[in-house]
Amino acid sequence: MTTPVIALDNLRVTLGKREILRGLNLELRGRTVGLLGPNGAGKSTLINTLLGFWKPVSGTAKVFGLDVKTHARQIRADIGYMAENDCFISDMPAISFVRMAAELSGLPSDAALERAHEALFYVGLGEARYRPLGAYSLGMKQMAKLAQAIVHGPKLVILDEPTNGLDPQARLRMIKIIQEIRALGTMHLVICSHLLRDIEETCEEAVILKAGQVVHHSNLEEERSSNRRFVEIETEGDDGTFADAIERLGCACSVNALGKIKTVLPEGIEIRDIYRLAADRDVQLRRLNYRRDSLEDIFLKAMEK
Amino acid sequence: MAVYKRTYKGYAGTLTHPAFRFLVLQRYAFRSIFKSRFLLIGYVGCFFVPLILLLFLYLNQNATVLAMVGQKVGFVKVNGSFFMNFLSVQGVLAGLMTAFVGPGLVAPDLTNGALSVYLSRPFSRAEYILGKGMVLGSLIASITLIPGLILFGVQSELVGYKWFEDNLYLGTGVLITGLVLIAVFVLLGLAMSAFVRWRIVAGALVLAVFAAGKGFGAVINNVMRTDNGLYLDLQHLISTVAGDLLRQSKENDPISGPAAGVALVVFCAMLLALINRKLRVCEVA
Repeated sequence: MTTPVIALDNLRVTLGKREILRGLNLELRGRTVGLLGPNGAGKSTLINTLLGFWKPVSGTAKVFGLDVKTHARQIRADIGYMAENDCFISDMPAISFVRMAAELSGLPSDAALERAHEALFYVGLGEARYRPLGAYSLGMKQMAKLAQAIVHGPKLVILDEPTNGLDPQARLRMIKIIQEIRALGTMHLVICSHLLRDIEETCEEAVILKAGQVVHHSNLEEERSSNRRFVEIETEGDDGTFADAIERLGCACSVNALGKIKTVLPEGIEIRDIYRLAADRDVQLRRLNYRRDSLEDIFLKAMEK
Repeated sequence: MAVYKRTYKGYAGTLTHPAFRFLVLQRYAFRSIFKSRFLLIGYVGCFFVPLILLLFLYLNQNATVLAMVGQKVGFVKVNGSFFMNFLSVQGVLAGLMTAFVGPGLVAPDLTNGALSVYLSRPFSRAEYILGKGMVLGSLIASITLIPGLILFGVQSELVGYKWFEDNLYLGTGVLITGLVLIAVFVLLGLAMSAFVRWRIVAGALVLAVFAAGKGFGAVINNVMRTDNGLYLDLQHLISTVAGDLLRQSKENDPISGPAAGVALVVFCAMLLALINRKLRVCEVA
């Protein structure tokens, strides 16, 4: 079995006397992982712990099998971090900023310059790369932060609120770049966001934190497919007995006030059986949807725990 | 390789040695500092006294020129007093250099949250402080320590090995005093830059620390009828150390050279702890 990207074993972190992370146990292997949770859930503390800024009081946190307590420097060499807040030097041109970031990661000066050009072109700032960062719009600053995070070719990129404060167009651009990075297959991504839609569009795995604990961890694709058995049906020409007929097939079934039927298909019953039943009873199926739990449903369920 | 292609690939090339990565900060900081013509002119001006003294040392050993003005070779003694005066003048310039350059080193990084860019890489807080300190340290060294040692070397070359052997303590004194000036000014500049984000105020505070220490020390001496207030007078501490090393100590100085040295070490350790504490707080902000 391959080494997990991130492995947490009973990880506890305290800031002052307050325990922020309370015994996290987690193994993340996905290429893109969404880190979700309300304010104060411990997302930023977890990221800072992975970067070695906070030391665990007990338990372990490993990145690519390396313990953050003992190999922080090596781990940081493999990580690209895009912070949530502004983090740049305002009077410095983007090209110098990204080049300096690459040099601090150990790239020789010439290679760093070449990579800085490539990274800025990659994020769409090629034409603006000689402008000072202070003159950039918020969207451009976010892209410059992304460029400095990927310039040294890290194995893991941590993006903290990458679409924070972006207008819809800039957000789409950021999402598209994240999807492209995922498709490249050379980097793992951990995306920390409050925007569930961003996580849904970019991640294959989701972790939900609440009060310093993991309340949900799932593969989003598997989660979606597990909901394939839940079906919503709208009919025309039903005399009120169609739902009973579905129940007689062995499906749990309910009808709401508008006549919409909700049913769960048990093993052995397929959707074609519903079609056949409708045809036999001369009922028109106007709409038939697989009910899919959105990430919002998953998140809300997790918050109720 | 064409840079216009919107592609991305990993990096598999060689890496620089981690021990020298702090020099990256120094290189980028120098570019920024010398963008200011005012600072560049000021920095060049700091070499005026060393160049004049260098010329003076040459003329002091030039019999032909001295004969024209009716003087003999070596009519001015090059001794502890000579180097003490040199270090005093250059020390003041080093203070001014710290006041102008120091505030721009850390404050912009804290204001813009840039610490996370540095420290999320294989780059430690200690390396950050070292890198930023090297900026100011190399500037101060270039106007105090290095010219002082050059003057000592030139005088040794002109007069001969016997002078060098007899006056080796002068070279050592210049070396150690230069290092003390670098340590005090670098740490003071970084601390002010870390705690005060307005450049002008931070610069003024660098100079004010000297004046305030002197004033506060004098108040303590007068009120408590003691001499311990002198331990707060940075200028006095530095000149006591220099005087002790260059054999120019004042006879009635209540503070000995080693005691002044210990006080300066404590002062520097406190500044370093303050800087470290401030950066520790800001690195994850």
